[in-house]
Amino acid sequence: MKSGDIAGQRKGLLSAGASLLWRRQEILWWVFAVNVVLGALGTLGAARTLNAALGYSLAGNQLVKGFDLGMFYELLRLPGANFLHSGSAAFACAFLFAVFMLFVSGGILEAFRQDRRLNTGDFFAASGAFFWRFVRLMLFSLVPFVFLWSLYPLVNRFAEYVGDRAAADQVGFCIQFAGTILLALLALLVRLWFDLAKVRAVAQDQRSMWRNLWESCALIWRNVGTLFWMYLRISLVAAIALLIGFLIWAKLSPTAIPATFILLEFILLAQLAVRLWQLASATAWYQRHAEAVPAGSLAYTMPQPEAVIAAIETPGVPEPDLPPLSEPEAPPTGA
Amino acid sequence: MQGHRALSVFAVGVLCYASAIAQSPFAPKVSGPLSQRVVAYQIDAKYDPAKHTVDATETLTYRNLTGQPLDHFPFHLYLNAFQPKSTWVREAHRDGYFRTSSLDEWDPKDNGSNEITSFEVAGMGDLTRQMKFISPDDGNVDDKTVFEVRLPRPVAAGQDVQFKIKFKATFPEVIARTGYKRTFLLAGQWFPKVGVWWHDQWNCHQFHAMTEFFADFGTYDVKITLPKNYVVGATGVQTGDTDNGNGTKTVSFHAEDVHDFAWTADPNFKVVEDHFDGSVGPVKIRLLTYDSHKSSWQRYLDVIRGTMEKFDQWYGPYPYAQLTVVDPPHGAGEAGGMEYPTFITGDTSWYAPKGDLSEPELVTEHEFGHQYWYGMVATNEFENAWLDEGINSYTEVKVLDSLFGRNTSSLNLLGIQEGDGEELRSSYLGDPDFDPLARASYTDMSMGSYSAVSYGKTATMLSTLETIVGEQALRNALHIYFLKYRFTHPTQQDFMRTVNEVTGQDLNWYWDQAAYGTQVMDYEVLRATSDSADWYQQDATEKKGATTYETQVILHRKGEFIFPVEAEVKFDNGESIRERWDGKDRWVRYIYHKKAKVVSVEIDPDHKVTMDSDYLNNSRTSDRQKGATEKIAAYWMFLTQFFAQMLSWLV
Repeated sequence: MKSGDIAGQRKGLLSAGASLLWRRQEILWWVFAVNVVLGALGTLGAARTLNAALGYSLAGNQLVKGFDLGMFYELLRLPGANFLHSGSAAFACAFLFAVFMLFVSGGILEAFRQDRRLNTGDFFAASGAFFWRFVRLMLFSLVPFVFLWSLYPLVNRFAEYVGDRAAADQVGFCIQFAGTILLALLALLVRLWFDLAKVRAVAQDQRSMWRNLWESCALIWRNVGTLFWMYLRISLVAAIALLIGFLIWAKLSPTAIPATFILLEFILLAQLAVRLWQLASATAWYQRHAEAVPAGSLAYTMPQPEAVIAAIETPGVPEPDLPPLSEPEAPPTGA
Repeated sequence: MQGHRALSVFAVGVLCYASAIAQSPFAPKVSGPLSQRVVAYQIDAKYDPAKHTVDATETLTYRNLTGQPLDHFPFHLYLNAFQPKSTWVREAHRDGYFRTSSLDEWDPKDNGSNEITSFEVAGMGDLTRQMKFISPDDGNVDDKTVFEVRLPRPVAAGQDVQFKIKFKATFPEVIARTGYKRTFLLAGQWFPKVGVWWHDQWNCHQFHAMTEFFADFGTYDVKITLPKNYVVGATGVQTGDTDNGNGTKTVSFHAEDVHDFAWTADPNFKVVEDHFDGSVGPVKIRLLTYDSHKSSWQRYLDVIRGTMEKFDQWYGPYPYAQLTVVDPPHGAGEAGGMEYPTFITGDTSWYAPKGDLSEPELVTEHEFGHQYWYGMVATNEFENAWLDEGINSYTEVKVLDSLFGRNTSSLNLLGIQEGDGEELRSSYLGDPDFDPLARASYTDMSMGSYSAVSYGKTATMLSTLETIVGEQALRNALHIYFLKYRFTHPTQQDFMRTVNEVTGQDLNWYWDQAAYGTQVMDYEVLRATSDSADWYQQDATEKKGATTYETQVILHRKGEFIFPVEAEVKFDNGESIRERWDGKDRWVRYIYHKKAKVVSVEIDPDHKVTMDSDYLNNSRTSDRQKGATEKIAAYWMFLTQFFAQMLSWLV
């Protein structure tokens, strides 16, 4: 394959992923809505506590006109203000969202794969069909993630050890920074691996997640440059979006509370969009480059032949909404 | 020839005079002695950078001004604190940390020691065998931070006695204001130092983790021999720099009317010099720093000059010729933020953001303040830490607020603000009621309590006192206190008496609670309601400006600390009333009959009673205040959602 072709395909992948997400943007809005609702639920307790403390007090003005850290400490010190309890509620809501995302991953990937709007039943059928498989994948993913996490203190200790002995101030920081970036990149690679495993599981209706993982690993091994570069660029977009949001936030007036709220939610929407963009791009890549999908692998969404025939033969019954038949996909190129 | 000789003598005389002027430890308009000089130290020290040791000979001339014969002398050996069984390590380990160091584990690099190889007394011979370690504070037989020598015959009142001590100091890796880090050395508390005869007895405490030092005023002549590529800074002024021709040099320093001597050395130091024009003439500022901290150099100089100016204006002159400011290298945080006479250590980093004023501004200001509250007004830091750390924290707030703004003097970054006074108040409220200020500081419950009380409570307590006596009166009191007690060892009673006298008020009721007690202050607005005066009439309709309301306001003293407070009651017709309550009863009720409803009631509307432990209940409004709740809730929600997304990324 010519290098120009590879570049063209790489460029195409990102825009293919983006346009796939754009076409399936209802997924983004729904997921964001759940994120907002759970975020709001996780905030209710804290808001109630805050209201009890500040609702009829002038002291809160110091938090509105600028952010007086002293007054914030005052709030945290308040015996009646159990922020630990509110924090637990927030954590529970965050956890629920993660479970929700795990559950709907199958539906999201199926919608991306078919590139059409699934009805609610199909969406949740796909979600349910893959849920336990993805739970298994998630449990497998704990191994590399925990391993990487456990490396972080070692990086810190090494940076401290070297930095402590180096005359230049920045040495320790640079080692820690480089180590953190490296670990983050490795985590991204792990994420890519497990995302691809999910895409494969949906595309091929794979049941053995263990085998799926190894096959995905082999697939990534052969295409690591393309895939990782794709994920990295999308991640950089997320980081840039976060940075821009932060810069705008820094410029906002401290009293502009509605504007701040909207900005913060916009940042979150952007982060979520970027995450779905990664999944959409992985799906697009797989559909372009990966293995042929074995026949009969999509049984859970395919209407039974009798039902189709019956629908055609019965006047007045609308034709079922079938997925477009895809061309058999080329075997992996190993490019 | 005669003429030539006369000219030569004249020239030598001029040179000597010029040299004497140049080497004077005082600012141009000051001449000593400024203190009752009890001690004169001459130390000849040789530093071995590879081993981090100093071999030295110390000649101490002690003048017996106690008015009675003295037959025994206690000495501090502070570096022996850095041994696993010492009282210092026991105390630091008990609390789990010391400043930035975790003392959960003992690292051999933490070992330090002062070893005396010879102890002679002029005219009395070698008394090395007479040395005996004592533990006056806790009876810890393993603590070797104080030793005592009994002389064969007493030193008569008014007479001098000369001690000749040979010792070896081994420095730990930097901890507790002393030690080495790579090529850097901060030599603090490094030589045998005699105790203080105070209140008719020796005052020579063991080295404790929480508290600092106490020593007599005198003169210091110190020679330090070390590799010649080293840059050296020390207490006092440099009087000589001789190349020994063997790769080493000997640098001499002279200091007068100081009670300690510290020095620092590092071949990587960069020297930045400036000066401050004070009321007694220019003072040289010598900053020893590093290239990597270049972004902080100007910040150091600006805050030093600003601080010196405020202290000169408000409290009195800085009489010395020089101030040496040491900016420790990275990883040597334990050497940062320390004061020695005419010699302080700051703290910064290569990335120090400008809006974070805690480093180097706050640290540098604080340590310079100690030149007054410790350096010149030399209180007993073992026993009355609030007199040095606390008063210094209070003046730190005043200076930093005047330089950087009341609400932004500690932090002003990305819209997040904190005043230095607020930070100290937060520290106080962390542990407000375990130890009274008047307790011997080294016996405080914990490092946290010591810090909360000595620094935070004192600053907060003095700031609150301003509401009684006025800011200017308290400034005058500190000014008089400084002038009266500089170069002496005042007590806490001296301080409180001076404030009473200068302000013309008997403040003992305040000192009893704030200094001798542990009461916590908390006032609240319990009720603020307006009811129609003719509420009983069934067909009564309320009309703004026409209906008469009975407004009831109840103020409640929740805490045990009794303090007079003001409360401002605002009505919806724009009227406001200030009430003053002595706070002696548990509560007070105010009733108003007006054609207006109450809008808000606020205790301490000028926000000066910083001792109040809960600001949130100091006010009550009739309408709901949404802003703060909505703002924090928006951030809380963002963080919850963000965290949720992060978690979902993992699955």
